[in-house]
Amino acid sequence: MTTELTAVAENLCELRDVSHVFTLPNGRPLRVLANINLAIQPREILALLGPSGCGKSTLVRILAGLIRPTAGQVLYHNQELQGLNPATAIVFQTFALYPWLTARENVEIVLRAAGLSSDEVQARTERVLHLVGLASFEESYPRELSGGMKQRVGIARALALEPEILLMDEPFSQVDALTAQSLRAELLDIWSATERNPSSILLVSHDIQEVVYLADRIVILSANPGRIRTILPNQLPRPRDYRSPAFIVMVEQLHDIIAGHELPDEPRPPTAPAAQRLEPLPEATPSEILGLLEYLDARGGSEDVFRIAIDTRRPFDHLLRVVAAAELLGFVDTPKRLVVLNPLGRRFLNAPTSDRKAIWREQLLRIELFRLVYTALQQQPDRSLDQDFVLETIILHLPEENYQRLFDTFLHWARFGELLSYDEVRGTLKLV
Amino acid sequence: MQRPVIYRRIWGEATALLQRARQLTGVDLLIVLGLAGLLYGLLDLAKEWAGPHRPVVEITLSPTALPKYSFYSLMRGLLAYVFSLGFTLLYGYWAAKDRVAERVLIPLLDILQSIPVLGFLPGLVLGLTAAFPHSNVGLELAAIVMIFTGQVWNMTFSFYQSLRSLPLDMQEAATAFRLNWWQRLRWLELPAAAMGLVWNSMMSMAGGWFFLMINETYHLGDRDFRLPGLGSYMSVAVEQGRVDAMIWAILAMTLLIVGLDQLLWRPLVVWAQKFRIEETSVALPASSWFLTWLRRSTLIAGLRRWLRDQRAKHATTSSPLPVAKPYPTISPRWTVVCSWGLVLVLVLTLGWGAWQLARLLRSLAWSAWAELVLAAAATLARVLISTMMGTLWAVPVGLAIGLKPTLARWLQPVVQVAASFPAPMLFPLVIAGLRLAGISLDWGSLALMLLGTQWYILFNVVAGAMSVPADLREVARSYRFSRWQRLRIVYLPAIFPHLVTGWVTAAGGAWNASIVAEYVSAGGEILQAYGLGAKISWAAEHADFALLAAGVLVMAGVVVLLNRLVWRRLYQLAEARFSLSK
Repeated sequence: MTTELTAVAENLCELRDVSHVFTLPNGRPLRVLANINLAIQPREILALLGPSGCGKSTLVRILAGLIRPTAGQVLYHNQELQGLNPATAIVFQTFALYPWLTARENVEIVLRAAGLSSDEVQARTERVLHLVGLASFEESYPRELSGGMKQRVGIARALALEPEILLMDEPFSQVDALTAQSLRAELLDIWSATERNPSSILLVSHDIQEVVYLADRIVILSANPGRIRTILPNQLPRPRDYRSPAFIVMVEQLHDIIAGHELPDEPRPPTAPAAQRLEPLPEATPSEILGLLEYLDARGGSEDVFRIAIDTRRPFDHLLRVVAAAELLGFVDTPKRLVVLNPLGRRFLNAPTSDRKAIWREQLLRIELFRLVYTALQQQPDRSLDQDFVLETIILHLPEENYQRLFDTFLHWARFGELLSYDEVRGTLKLV
Repeated sequence: MQRPVIYRRIWGEATALLQRARQLTGVDLLIVLGLAGLLYGLLDLAKEWAGPHRPVVEITLSPTALPKYSFYSLMRGLLAYVFSLGFTLLYGYWAAKDRVAERVLIPLLDILQSIPVLGFLPGLVLGLTAAFPHSNVGLELAAIVMIFTGQVWNMTFSFYQSLRSLPLDMQEAATAFRLNWWQRLRWLELPAAAMGLVWNSMMSMAGGWFFLMINETYHLGDRDFRLPGLGSYMSVAVEQGRVDAMIWAILAMTLLIVGLDQLLWRPLVVWAQKFRIEETSVALPASSWFLTWLRRSTLIAGLRRWLRDQRAKHATTSSPLPVAKPYPTISPRWTVVCSWGLVLVLVLTLGWGAWQLARLLRSLAWSAWAELVLAAAATLARVLISTMMGTLWAVPVGLAIGLKPTLARWLQPVVQVAASFPAPMLFPLVIAGLRLAGISLDWGSLALMLLGTQWYILFNVVAGAMSVPADLREVARSYRFSRWQRLRIVYLPAIFPHLVTGWVTAAGGAWNASIVAEYVSAGGEILQAYGLGAKISWAAEHADFALLAAGVLVMAGVVVLLNRLVWRRLYQLAEARFSLSK
């Protein structure tokens, strides 16, 4: 199993300077990937780790040949890829099984689509279903199977094609935690036991533990647009133990890299009046922000950000958004990996409801987007505006954000502070 | 020495046959009998079709002739359905797959479905009888195409919608695993569309029966185009005022519809549930005795085994293609050219049709147009009033039924069958009643329209009431809402989306019904109400093609406008505010 890495080891697949732009329904472009350079080598597990919106799934689809990138090259064995990638098979996050076919039929159809003879189809189906431990469930329909079992079918279907690269798009995120753990171990067993294919696995994930457990190399992406920040080699010996000191050190190291980027230490420059660039709003609801402050208060005012993620059972990238939101509103500071409740945050927390709203409003108006909309509303004779004004503003100044989600966050925050009211049917904003 | 061997062989084969025969169940016997009966019927039908063209078909009113007539009508309905299915698959697939064609095909479908069936009739009858001057095929085809136009549109819409709303991950899986178009159709697209298609087929079949009487007894000017069938039997019975024959015909129709429901649709609906993607809120029958029964048959099981073996044997010989080659992601240029070409042909045909229509309509005076618009207003009023009347009784009754699960499970199929009974067959009886009460057809036609359309509202309200979540009902109970509060706060909003569906179907049905409800022949004389439906019927019977075309055009226009301005907005409202699935 030891791979002699010779100098001429050929890459299975390579992305050169790949960028991708989606066109939004309103015709505007949204940049999801920028200048990605990445090579998948023979016999490795490569993991893509990043917050939501960093284009991980798009990257997988580009590698599979489902999407043609707007710029850059996709190489397959040093040949430029035209159309579907013959070396890959995908395992989907949502399983994507056909509910009217049994587990066996779901596997069989992809082999028949590949044009194999019916004996070969039978033999391979038998083998992979056995491999993933589904031999006695082969005549079951997907709706009769649990999430973990469904994903076994999904994995069997992909393995049956004996792809050189197995693409896995957050394969265990819709499977319960215990099942996911055993599936990971089984996946490793299957991968290390096969002599030939799948040679390599590309795994998309937002779970740090999962990535450290499985991957040989970890690619850390940042969002909006997705860029590669670091590629971290992981040389922990297998089998890996979640509780071993080296494993924990690796997890911590990844935490630091991500936190260092998402929550920078240097305080943001004091908000300069006017001409200030609009800032995006981290996607978090007021009740989540309030919950974070309550949690910090109960912990004596500060806590390690990773401890919080574990205690609140939030995915790490989600928690980071909540912390960033609280920081933007001026309620917490984030020195290193700590999140600290500051005096304003404490005052906000201890105030009665009506005062809370007042403080929230005041803080909102320090954020450029709210100030801009507020001023515009005041200038209207009837103190109301069409929602399109806000949407246009977002699209104009923050072309790389998902404007619909940002608008939803904007509304949540503004309505929580009773800054304005919103008529959903007519789509108008009105000052309270 | 040879004889014993032969004897032994014969003996052996005979015992084997007997052995096999013993395994055959009563079910198999009935299936064989049924198939034999069908074969006999089809031969008879072929004789009738190929027979020399007769100027006038004599219909006997003896009840013993009814099975044969019913069979003829049934075969017309089924053949039309086969055409509808074929059309649906082609048209829906094309519209869903081809972005260029979609922009022409879908609006066209919207217009076509708002044209009343009678608008197609004269042209088709004249054209097809001229094409087959010496046999009955032309006229038979015309009747079949008529039924087809009453069946096809909603099926096509359903198929198109299913194709367009396939879950994205399933589509991606199909592409990533390199299914070709046929495999995609067979394993992904057809299964995903099956539920909607079966459900709409059921509704369509009912829609096809609606004009059975007109389709089979059609007068154009002084020419009589009549076909032997259940519809013409009824017409003759009405002409001669034979109440006993009318009752026999109604009975036969009921049997036909119940039979189709039990032997065809119910098994299909149950079978198609295997193709559902999510749990639907619509209450569907969970079992069908006929399907269970068929599954017990050894004959069918044997046939399926044989087919599977054949297929496996065939598949082994197919050549392997182990290396997947990269597929181009953009469609090649020739398909684009092809689709533009097809669209161009379609547009040119439509343009030519429009030009011909314009020439025909030029002869019509402005006053005639004004008259038609006024008549349309009268019919519009009737459509809306009849829908409202239907709502007034169907909502309380539907709620009463739907909120009691045991009752609903019993009555829902009954309501469904009632909804698919062609109301025009009941008109003569209602008209006799109206005459006794001294009500003119101007008001009486409301009752006739209601007769056909109320069931759609009831049916949908029952379905809506059955899907009100238990927790919402429990809230109302535990906070002691009064009866009125429950209705206003819980039930009416909860059933609103279903009610809108019911209204749309009922109003569509009412427009169609106006053609037969505003212009009725009873006991040898013709009763007319003031309305667009009467105008169209009159024009069709007196071969006034310009007036007919104008009337159909006005009706289609009003229906499309009503859809755009009222029903679509109500749908959006229902979706945005009263949807229970969000």
